[in-house]
Amino acid sequence: MLQYTLRRLLGMIPLLLLISLVVFFLAKMMPGDAFAGEIDPSNTNPQYIEEMREKLGYNDPIIQQYGRWIVSFVQGDFGKSTVYKKPAAEIIVQRIPNTIFLAFTSLVITYIFAFIMGMYAGRKPYTLGDNLIGTYNYLALAIPSFVAGIVAIYFFSFKLGWFPFNGSVGVGLEPGTLDYFVSKLHHVLLPALILGLMGTASYTQFLRNDIIENSRKDFVRTARAKGTKESKIYNKHILRNSIIPLITFLGFDIATLISGAVITETIFTYPGIGALFLESVGRRDYAVMMSITMLLSLLTLFGNLVADLLYGVVDPRIRLD
Amino acid sequence: MKKSALWSFMLLLVMALFLAACNNDSSSTEKESEKKPSGDTTATTDTAAKGGVVTFGTDTAPEGVYDPAYSGSIVDSYIQGFTMEGIYDVNDDLEYVPNLASWEISEDKLTYTFTFQKGVKWHNGEELTGDDWVFALETLADPDYDGPRYNYAEGIKGAKAKKEGKADKIEGIEVVDPYTVKITFEQVKINNLENLWSNPMPKKHYEGIAVKDLAESKQVRENPVGLGPFKVKKVVDGEYSELERFDDYWKGKPQLDGVIVKVIDPSLAAGAFQNGEIDIMAIKPQSVKELTALDNVRIEETNGVSYSYIGLRFGHRDKATLKNVADVDKFKSKELRQALLYAINRPAMIDAFLEGKAAVANTVIPTTFWTAAPESDLNQYEFNTEKAKELLASAGYVDKDGDGFVEDPNGQPFKISFGHYAGSAAFEGRSQAIIQSWNDIGVKTEQATGSLIEFNLYNDMKDNDDAALEAFFGAWSTGADPDPSGLWGNDAEWNYGRWVDAKNQELLNKGLSEEAFDKDTRMKTYVEWQKHFNEELPALPLWENMDLYGINNRLQGVHINAVGFQTDVYKWNVQE
Repeated sequence: MLQYTLRRLLGMIPLLLLISLVVFFLAKMMPGDAFAGEIDPSNTNPQYIEEMREKLGYNDPIIQQYGRWIVSFVQGDFGKSTVYKKPAAEIIVQRIPNTIFLAFTSLVITYIFAFIMGMYAGRKPYTLGDNLIGTYNYLALAIPSFVAGIVAIYFFSFKLGWFPFNGSVGVGLEPGTLDYFVSKLHHVLLPALILGLMGTASYTQFLRNDIIENSRKDFVRTARAKGTKESKIYNKHILRNSIIPLITFLGFDIATLISGAVITETIFTYPGIGALFLESVGRRDYAVMMSITMLLSLLTLFGNLVADLLYGVVDPRIRLD
Repeated sequence: MKKSALWSFMLLLVMALFLAACNNDSSSTEKESEKKPSGDTTATTDTAAKGGVVTFGTDTAPEGVYDPAYSGSIVDSYIQGFTMEGIYDVNDDLEYVPNLASWEISEDKLTYTFTFQKGVKWHNGEELTGDDWVFALETLADPDYDGPRYNYAEGIKGAKAKKEGKADKIEGIEVVDPYTVKITFEQVKINNLENLWSNPMPKKHYEGIAVKDLAESKQVRENPVGLGPFKVKKVVDGEYSELERFDDYWKGKPQLDGVIVKVIDPSLAAGAFQNGEIDIMAIKPQSVKELTALDNVRIEETNGVSYSYIGLRFGHRDKATLKNVADVDKFKSKELRQALLYAINRPAMIDAFLEGKAAVANTVIPTTFWTAAPESDLNQYEFNTEKAKELLASAGYVDKDGDGFVEDPNGQPFKISFGHYAGSAAFEGRSQAIIQSWNDIGVKTEQATGSLIEFNLYNDMKDNDDAALEAFFGAWSTGADPDPSGLWGNDAEWNYGRWVDAKNQELLNKGLSEEAFDKDTRMKTYVEWQKHFNEELPALPLWENMDLYGINNRLQGVHINAVGFQTDVYKWNVQE
């Protein structure tokens, strides 16, 4: 397995290079650059813009720009944000805790609800309850998160006043205090609920189908024949078997943890990686955009690897070599 | 057993959520109830309530550059509007008036002597002297300076030499004493002052930092020091900036305790106003209806310095020589251009797409400027399709093949490709309305590229004189300087229609010349220029936009004018 892991890790390098090449070229092909569209005739003079473009190398051939970017990227220099005029790495690191907090909370919510719904639906398939759960799940999958986000803000923030609708923390609170933490939790709940409740479909349906499949297996029949209580059969025998494949989903969730939710974060003005990413694309902040892309690509590849390895761990029939 | 453990865990979690929600709610209501009695007590003494914190909403996040010499974003400049101050101010008539310093102009109009106010304090307690301002000017002209504002020092004698590394100091600056600075300019120009950098830098605070490191230094980015009525207290990136009162502000102690600049998604603005989350925000005409429905919010409007127009293509820009070349003949006929404007029902468009919050413009100098020509001097181009058709016919644009659309004087098919950028929902209708108006008078018009064009792409196309943009929608915000040559000068980069006209340039030059130091002469020159523009119509002026602000009724003392809402922010106060 070690050999397999190493081989996979080495295989990531060309893949990452390819991704970076494609993304870089696509980014540069977008019309405009960091200086276009922000022209303020009374404040900006064309010479300055031209000077900066020259200085940042925007006028060089694109392949040369890519070469320059990739060389410094490999050496750990992620470039400087043209918007914030700070190193890109610094800005991203600043935003990561917020995103992880949001993603973690929403994952917990997803897990809990998916678990409950999946168990119920799997135990009583083709009943009204199961159909309702199925309908809900596919509806949630189909509704775009920005619609859900705005509707939720309208009801829970504006009408009922239960949750704040923007930001990640109340104004003026000092980090480290209890108030600060409570405020953080309070701010993260609504976006997390939106993300969490809208993302239960795959987990629920996966768990449901697995439970149904397992419940038809011989060992279940044997247990029933022995007179084991029905609840024990489901909660112990079947669940234990059905939950194992779900573990592999963990791998895929690693990338989700960081990528957060581009749209949801933006609507809630929640300062995380997702909102930063969208902003950097909109304002052609190449350094930040490329750094986030590479980070996400790496995490996705890594997550896939973890998922594959977990398959091998939970199911010895799968050999990794 | 396991099941019940799971359920109790769940229950615990759900309760934790509600507790968290309740907790914060009660704390915020407590804060409000604390505020109220204090408001009542002051109200009984018949003075404006002191204290309180107001929230200013913005739709994009600040970049966190707190020195105007380095920042470029509008949100950063809003924050600076609270924390910084300049040597001059711009009043309601867009005239430049003394603020931190007053000035006298020498006989030869080359040397300005600035006298600074005494006793003005920086946020760190140091006193402001002329040195701080000279320091700022020297920084701007430094070869290592990497901000966008060098052009504000460029006019001073010797600034170029310093920028090119040939001199250590700007020759034209002389510090007479701590409160007196003499500036000598390279050339006599009426707008030398308008093009002079006005914000001093805290020299002591920036001490020991090389110019090339200044933009990223902690002193600029994290603990800035300014002169304004509020100082930066805390910044949470991408979320809010908390500003607190500066007690030693030189015009008097500010009435508010603080200001919070908060980022919110514009789609949520109305809701945020309703429940008091934001107190003031610049709004778009489209939000007017929603906000008028709220009783706790008022809308204040003022004539702004921005206008919309339709550009017409006359040529292209030669990027090597940086000159505009008029080599496209499509719109050469003056009658055609006038007909195109007569064809558009501008009042109807303003009502339909801007909620009536704009005024028809017949020139490109907004009426707020003291140089604006009286409407009686200008042709009003009131909507009149018959007149438009007459003009077309008189210029030889007639329908010869009977397809309902005119041909050009040579009998060739005539078609205009009109471009508009994508953005808010109203743009589609606006663009179609213009196309329809022109088709109605028989000038065949099609939408360039077939749909609204993505904004960045649109700007690229304009920069590169894309042939598809024969006529194009544009808008400018002019700033406070009345000189329009940056936008309409013969060789101006932003003269996107590439209109080259001898009389135009002559009048623009005259408006900046030595004789323009006489205010009347300058005014007359610009009125003449506007009449010329109004007659020639190198671009079709549509309307000047109003600046709109939503303000919570509890916030008083806000004075808005064409340059913004931040005049005398120290007078802002809260009345519950």
